[in-house]
Amino acid sequence: MRAGLRWIRADLRARPGQAVAMVLVVAGVVSALLLSATLLEGATDPWRALFTQTKGADIWLRLSAGADVRPLGHMDGVTGIAGPYRASAATLVRGPLTAPVQMWAMGPVPPAIGQPLIRQGRWLTSAQPSGVVLEASFAQAVRARAGSTLVIEGLDGSSVRARVLGVAYSSDQGFYPDQTPGLMWALPGLVSRVEPVRRHTVQIAGIRLADPSATGFAVQQAVTQLGSGAVLGVSTWRDVERSMDGGDPLLGLLLALFGVVALGGALLAIGNAAGGRVLVQKQDLAMLKTLGFTPAQLVGMLVAEHAALGLVGAAAGVVIARLATVPLMRQVPAGTLGAVAPLQAGWAALLVGGIGIAVLLATALPGWRAGRVWPVAAIRPPAPGKRLSRLARAALLTHLPPAVVLGTRAAFTRRLPAVLTIGGLALPVAMVTIGIGFWATLDQVQRHPGEIGLAAALTVRPGELDRARAQRIVAADPEVAAAYRSVTVSALLPGETSTITTLGAGTSARPFPFHVAQGRLYQAPGEAVASQGLLDSVHLRVGQYLRMPVDGVPVIFHVVGRIIEPEYGGQVLAYGLDTLTQAGAVPPPPSYSLVLRPGISPASAAARLLRVSGGRLDVARTVSPAADLGIVRPMLAGLFGILGLIGLTCLLTASAVGLRDHLRDIGALRAMGLTPAQVVASLVTRMSVLALTAAVVGVAAGLSLSSRLINLAAQVYGIGAGLSSPPPAGATLTAATVAITAAALVALIPARRAARIPVAATLGP
Amino acid sequence: MTRVGEVPCCDGPASHVLLRSVGLTKVFRTDGGPVHAVRGVDLWLRRGEFVAVMGPSGSGKSTLLHALGGLEPATSGEIWLDGQRVDGFSQARWAVLRRRHIGFVFQFFNLVSNMTAADNVELAALIGGASRRAARARREELFGELELTAQADAVPAQLSGGEQQRVALARALAHRPSLLLTDEPTGNLDSTNSASVLRLLSRSHAAGQAILLVTHDARAASMADRVVSLFDGMIVDDAPLPSVPPPRVTARDVLELRG
Amino acid sequence: MRLPLLALLAKEPAHGYELKGQLEQIFGDAYPSLNIGQVYLTLQRLEHAGLVRSQDVVQTARPNKRVYELTPAGRDAVATWVEAPSEAPRIRDDFFMKLALGPLAGVTDRLGLINRQRRHYLSVMRGLSRLAEATAEGNKIPRLLIEGAMMHLQADLDWLQRCQEELV
Repeated sequence: MRAGLRWIRADLRARPGQAVAMVLVVAGVVSALLLSATLLEGATDPWRALFTQTKGADIWLRLSAGADVRPLGHMDGVTGIAGPYRASAATLVRGPLTAPVQMWAMGPVPPAIGQPLIRQGRWLTSAQPSGVVLEASFAQAVRARAGSTLVIEGLDGSSVRARVLGVAYSSDQGFYPDQTPGLMWALPGLVSRVEPVRRHTVQIAGIRLADPSATGFAVQQAVTQLGSGAVLGVSTWRDVERSMDGGDPLLGLLLALFGVVALGGALLAIGNAAGGRVLVQKQDLAMLKTLGFTPAQLVGMLVAEHAALGLVGAAAGVVIARLATVPLMRQVPAGTLGAVAPLQAGWAALLVGGIGIAVLLATALPGWRAGRVWPVAAIRPPAPGKRLSRLARAALLTHLPPAVVLGTRAAFTRRLPAVLTIGGLALPVAMVTIGIGFWATLDQVQRHPGEIGLAAALTVRPGELDRARAQRIVAADPEVAAAYRSVTVSALLPGETSTITTLGAGTSARPFPFHVAQGRLYQAPGEAVASQGLLDSVHLRVGQYLRMPVDGVPVIFHVVGRIIEPEYGGQVLAYGLDTLTQAGAVPPPPSYSLVLRPGISPASAAARLLRVSGGRLDVARTVSPAADLGIVRPMLAGLFGILGLIGLTCLLTASAVGLRDHLRDIGALRAMGLTPAQVVASLVTRMSVLALTAAVVGVAAGLSLSSRLINLAAQVYGIGAGLSSPPPAGATLTAATVAITAAALVALIPARRAARIPVAATLGP
Repeated sequence: MTRVGEVPCCDGPASHVLLRSVGLTKVFRTDGGPVHAVRGVDLWLRRGEFVAVMGPSGSGKSTLLHALGGLEPATSGEIWLDGQRVDGFSQARWAVLRRRHIGFVFQFFNLVSNMTAADNVELAALIGGASRRAARARREELFGELELTAQADAVPAQLSGGEQQRVALARALAHRPSLLLTDEPTGNLDSTNSASVLRLLSRSHAAGQAILLVTHDARAASMADRVVSLFDGMIVDDAPLPSVPPPRVTARDVLELRG
Repeated sequence: MRLPLLALLAKEPAHGYELKGQLEQIFGDAYPSLNIGQVYLTLQRLEHAGLVRSQDVVQTARPNKRVYELTPAGRDAVATWVEAPSEAPRIRDDFFMKLALGPLAGVTDRLGLINRQRRHYLSVMRGLSRLAEATAEGNKIPRLLIEGAMMHLQADLDWLQRCQEELV
């Protein structure tokens, strides 16, 4: 309808500020939620997306140079073979940085299985024989990008200049430097130049299975087929997934929590904004009916206007999210966000749809209610009610400044709007409080990783060295405070068909320093500590006994404590190595969990160990969930901004509606002698009282929920309660003060304008 | 159910009757008991006729006007507009009816506050079905007649009372309604502005517009073809004013200058 | 009409026709003007009272005209008139008498009485409106006179309404 469009245009032109504010709020909310979803997707399971996109191999075999790989193709359950690729170890030199690298020889045509996902630049081409492609996390570590030059030093000392053609994601191995050496792809010619001696090279072959869960069986078959002499090493997709997983469940849960609650708060704010806009116009809307707009048309018009604003906001939000994803990806360790983008469309549609519904409901409801009233209500000026004399009497009788009394009373005269305002403001305040709690917890976790069970910064495997040599190197290193031998052994959960990981860490006399949340560490053979998840799944409490077959050998454990262990999916049982040997089980070759001296950076310690061992020691850094969570701080900051915007919208709406309601009363009071300054004071008091109530409610809710939420999250993921730090008082009080000050300011500007309007104008129609 | 023309209401062929009410009643339910604002009013208006409804405040004249224009539902009685029975219409049907047939002017102007004067008037034309160009042309024509061309882009808050009421009048006439309903159009204006608005109404009437005017202002009422007196919700008098002016009236007929 | 004529003569001496012309110019159509006979009659009375004196002026091509001028007593009379407050206008109570005493005279239909009176007032109002329209913008005196008459008429109508409320 042309008339409807004309009214919408005029309305938007008359109140552009509010319209822009609403668009911004929607854009902010949509972009925040989309970014959260992006990170959530990437965080919870970066590996899976990457694996699917790269058509990864389930098993990677490291074979001797002369092994015959043909039998692999004839194995049962094998759907494809990748390679074999010749591979050679080398050292990459880029400026002052050196890093161990393994070069895989591949052709200009990217392989079908295990296809690296180009993130930057291009794949290998025969036109550039000295071109290489680096794996993304490795490239970030050595600060190389497409177009960079580097030098590759072979084991015999020869160096070859190479040029980086591109950077790609891969699901073939975990991230550098957690997994070393770094991965590089090059043409066979270049690989031969670096390592001309065939004997010094190995072959890499990947196997794609029909049934990914049958890796154990497939590996056994491969080894049998090829001969154990030919197989130098095996890694399965589970190993890669585990290495890529890190602290993701925590991140994922945080994001999900925030996303959901932010959505709720945003819907409330948008509803408030849209509804408030409509309420203020009740008089005009009724007049439109006099002109000939049907109630249905009115509702349609309002809905169309706000839907348009919401749509613009949502579109802007999507664009912002897209644009922000790129720098965000650069911040986060490479690969975490590997192949997320295609999944966005569904999320985006869901979010935009949800917000759209919120806008429509918020607009349609008051519009419909305004539509039901016959137009005559708009013509009769609202009669000044008896309320006025009571207000006046109240103001005069009490000895408080009349402005304060009036303001406080004005805050609560209309029940429902007051409740909505308080609710709409309390929610962001509560969320900010919870956010502050998360921030504090994060700080704590980062400063004291031991508190979440990650006392060991490095895990060292003998790699190509023998155990004795490895042990000597580790023991001799001055930067290592203590080394604990540890093994991971799978065990079968009683009554279940699934296995869990158990850790034999240290000995009962010298146990690994887990963080015990409840009970104590194991001190004698047969004692063990368990994570929350495990206790839940076997319905056990601390102090009880657990009988489990560990590596085929049944063992009875006395669970003496509950630990916080963020890895292994929350289900882990830890005990001393001597428990295993005493039970008669043969522990597998151990790795060494190294606790570093305080103040030593894991990176330098790892580099040192690698150097000392000539690159043959397998050094992995423990992935702390807090490392990935570095992204959370800027996210929290952004979220605080959005919550601030949401709260502000709420305040603006409340102020506008309140001003309209009380203008008449104020006019009458001014006629009786209230000075303009008192008018301003009463309006400001009104908003401040509302904000104060909201702040109190919000902070109380936030404080009580913060610890509970974090613990709940940790519990759900099986890490266990005991992780959280409460929100610090200073920051919380600051947030509350900011909210109340903002409310006062929001009320101040229109109040000053209202105070200057001549009294007669406010008393008129 | 009576049809227009069966009840002896008006002299002249029934087809000339534009608006007719039969036994129109409006009862308000208030805390103090039911209030009978309008009691069984039989009113009619022919095409091009100018009828004034006079009465003291509280006599129900505004309520009567609101009911006749569908701004408020009548409690009982019939309302016929242009041969069609319209009482009992839903809000939506009334709204559609008003688009084509009825224009309103109120005492408190009641312009849409967030639209310019030009938009206010064009909106009425647009919803009446005019194209954008036609609406604009009609607005320019009306503003020219009402000397509002300079105020076209002002919002109501920037206009004086007299200007606002003229805009309201333009708005009421924008969609060329068959019936103009006005409620105390001069109630909030000073004498100069009153005179000018009344002059405009008179001019519209001369051009053939049917007008129903509710007022307590004798000067406004004296412009009508017929004056209906309302008292306590009922009609007490319904008489045409003589179209032929009495022998030359001077101020002497009212007051005497002595010295 | 005595004092208005005295006031006009206070400005300058004039003869009868000039005075009549000046009155007509001031009030225009709003108020009916005196006929010349009434003017001369009034002037004679004033002369008799010693407030004006007349003089015959000889004209060559026309008959003599009698020019009047104020005497000192006349000047005093004008000054006194101007300074003393005027009496409030006396409302015509003819109709109210009818309404009040009607029942005694056998009048049963007071409402009809009131209605007829209202219709009369309205038609007078209509006439006054037409008169106002016909009077040019610049003629402030006549316009104010008409407006005053309209306001009084409105007051009469409002009083009529009150009578209807109370007596019917």
